[in-house]
Amino acid sequence: MIFAAIFFGAVAIVSALGVVLFRNPLFSAFALVSNLLSVAAVYATMKAHFLAVSQVVVYAGAIMVLVLFVLMLLNLKSETVRRSDWTKLIVAGFGGVIIFCSVVPVVLSSLEMVDANLVASDFQAADGTVAAVGRLLYSEYVPQFELSSLVLLVGVVGAVMLTRKKSTDPSPREGGLTGGK
Amino acid sequence: MIDLLILFIKVGFVLNLALTLGSVCIWIERKASALIQDRVGANRAGAFVVSDRWYLQPILPIVRLFGWLGVINTLVCDSLKGLMKEDFVPEGTSRFLHAAAPVIAVLPVLLAFAVLPLAPDFTVWGVQVRPQVASIDAGILFVLAMGSVAVYGVAIAGWTGNNKFSLLGALRAAAQMISYELPMGLVFVALIVVYGTLDVYAMVERQEELLWGFLPAWGIVTQPVGFVVLLLAGMAETKRGPFDLPEAESELAAGYFTEYSGMKFLLFWMGEFCEIALFAMLLALLFFGGWDIPWITLPEGAWWAALLGHAVLVVKILFFCLLQVVIRWTLPRFRYDQLMNLGWKLLLPVALLNLVITAVVKVLL
Repeated sequence: MIFAAIFFGAVAIVSALGVVLFRNPLFSAFALVSNLLSVAAVYATMKAHFLAVSQVVVYAGAIMVLVLFVLMLLNLKSETVRRSDWTKLIVAGFGGVIIFCSVVPVVLSSLEMVDANLVASDFQAADGTVAAVGRLLYSEYVPQFELSSLVLLVGVVGAVMLTRKKSTDPSPREGGLTGGK
Repeated sequence: MIDLLILFIKVGFVLNLALTLGSVCIWIERKASALIQDRVGANRAGAFVVSDRWYLQPILPIVRLFGWLGVINTLVCDSLKGLMKEDFVPEGTSRFLHAAAPVIAVLPVLLAFAVLPLAPDFTVWGVQVRPQVASIDAGILFVLAMGSVAVYGVAIAGWTGNNKFSLLGALRAAAQMISYELPMGLVFVALIVVYGTLDVYAMVERQEELLWGFLPAWGIVTQPVGFVVLLLAGMAETKRGPFDLPEAESELAAGYFTEYSGMKFLLFWMGEFCEIALFAMLLALLFFGGWDIPWITLPEGAWWAALLGHAVLVVKILFFCLLQVVIRWTLPRFRYDQLMNLGWKLLLPVALLNLVITAVVKVLL
């Protein structure tokens, strides 16, 4: 299984590179989808089936489809920004360095947790079953869980506010993509 | 080694079942639609075949029967025609994505069959076999995950079509599939509450019991509302009439696969019918007891009991395939806002209410 994990990890890295290197935003989106799917595959090789499936359902299945939706509706052309835009490069480089510096300690600390005597056949997550994840969510992480539902509620209310019809609008529209019904 | 061999046999068997059911669905669709519209349907190709070769004589009557029933026309001639047609790729689009889209549309559907059991456990030559490719912990959620990935095939197909009909069809399909995934998922949650497990095999085992000593504990008895919601949501998920807005031919030419021809078009078709079979199998396993025959207990572990159970399951699957085809050819198409209203304002609240009531009843009992 460890070879499968390494393979899918490599795919994840390559497709993550693709996200930033592709000129066409739609190809970047597909690269991100393949990145998410291969991370899910890495979870699956660690026998954390529930995490893998929820990764696919939530990120690949719902969020990325909406991103794709927007990209297709806007019908974006390939990137036309010139590479010699120095201010952007500097700002982006600065942000990249900050993110890199914050990721490195996390990676190093997780490396310490890895057992040096790890055998390939033992390669699996501590507990990725539905029951284990559910128990953790509803006991130890209840405040965070409930807070995230509050964040989602704020998002829903905001979306309703943004799309609400103005009362002066004489022609209420029905449906979205009716295509001339 | 023997485990690996068994796994390969299982994978082959499940793939074969999925594709065979898909093909049979195509035949059912052709013949049932003909009967509903008072036509005869395909009945020519192969029906009058003659030959004086002695070795062909025994099979000639079977060929003639199949030809007369339209099997040869729909399964052999149609696929040959698809293979020989020109493979058209529209200009100004990615050839790679255009070719990848049908594959991405079909693959998740076939993968979803992996978590569905085909028959009860049985023992041959001292080896115990569970006829299910992957008995993973997440179980039924895997089907949901594959259903959500299948959206990509449709979306990519619509985008690579490089015309407005395709794009509109793809957008409609994506919106429709995401919308109807929610009630579907909620029904799955209610079923998980009822059966107390996510594994489809264990779900079927729970349905073999009897309620109050006489009523089979099938899902249709314990979750009647869930069945109706899942039937509607599933028919919308397969993008077929009365919910076939993504390919509404009177508005959008052929919707998201307008620019597809030949074998790529047939691949979309095959995927659609495999999805019908998958969905029929889900209904049979989750709501109609899978391989269970009410009030009859088959001996555990016997190979003939597994075979009989499998036959019972296939009969149930074919019934639901036929049901979907009949619904498709009976009801007129929805309007798009009606479709969205049905999903968000009726099915979603009903599914939520069903879940709450199920949970309350489960706690009280």
